[in-house]
Amino acid sequence: MHEHKITLKTGLPSCKDVMEHICDNLGEELNSPKCIEIKSHLEKCDNCQHYFNSVETTIQFYKKYNVELSNDAHNRLIEFLGLKE
Amino acid sequence: MDEQKLIELAQKGDRKALAELVKAHEQTIYNFSFKICRNKDKAENTMQETFLSMVKNIKQFGGQSKLSTWLYRVVTNHCLMLARTESKHTADSFDDDDLLIDEKNIADWKITPDKAAENNELKKILDEAIQKLAPEYRIVFMLRDVEGFSTEETASMVELSVPAVKSRLHRARAFLRNELNTRFNYART
Repeated sequence: MHEHKITLKTGLPSCKDVMEHICDNLGEELNSPKCIEIKSHLEKCDNCQHYFNSVETTIQFYKKYNVELSNDAHNRLIEFLGLKE
Repeated sequence: MDEQKLIELAQKGDRKALAELVKAHEQTIYNFSFKICRNKDKAENTMQETFLSMVKNIKQFGGQSKLSTWLYRVVTNHCLMLARTESKHTADSFDDDDLLIDEKNIADWKITPDKAAENNELKKILDEAIQKLAPEYRIVFMLRDVEGFSTEETASMVELSVPAVKSRLHRARAFLRNELNTRFNYART
């Protein structure tokens, strides 16, 4: 029992480990013991939460930045493909 | 008419069905192409080449994947070909992975993504940040994180192993996050 505790303690993730893990595994559904330790650290650490939020926000920015195809560009495409009626 | 029926008609040479398929996917392909090229003219050109490939090869489309997935694969190839002819980047833009994550003093971003669509200054920052990223990394980030394909699907589309995709994704996420952190003046020295 004592040995087990020592193993867990020495294996606890650092902030750097957690941030590396966020960049590695964001969006994956993982339930390994390492992931559970990472989640536990994340819940208690403001620094890592800020990092996690900033990576998520970065992704959201690029998701929400979209461009619309104009009617002119659509017409040029159809003409280019020779599909104009 | 459902897409499967349109594909069957298009494979028999029905031009109206082909035009319908183009119309159904042109917005998605143009948007994705823009997200890689960050330039409307280049995005339009890449979209045209993608649909030309579709028109030429529709008879070979076997239906093992969705048409949209097939088109993503084609547009990805066209984007990479274009990037390789003009790129200043190399695939090894990151000399030292350790520098990508500095775990000390991470700022709390007060900015939210809601206004990204209408904020031109923010768009400029997003364009400039992602253009610093080599296209090979940009494409993986866009397919996996922005378009929502799984790591395995992304690997298949870009013809890389899953570990190689994960490595590029890791670097792209950390790099873009750092770039924006600096541009938003959150970086501390």
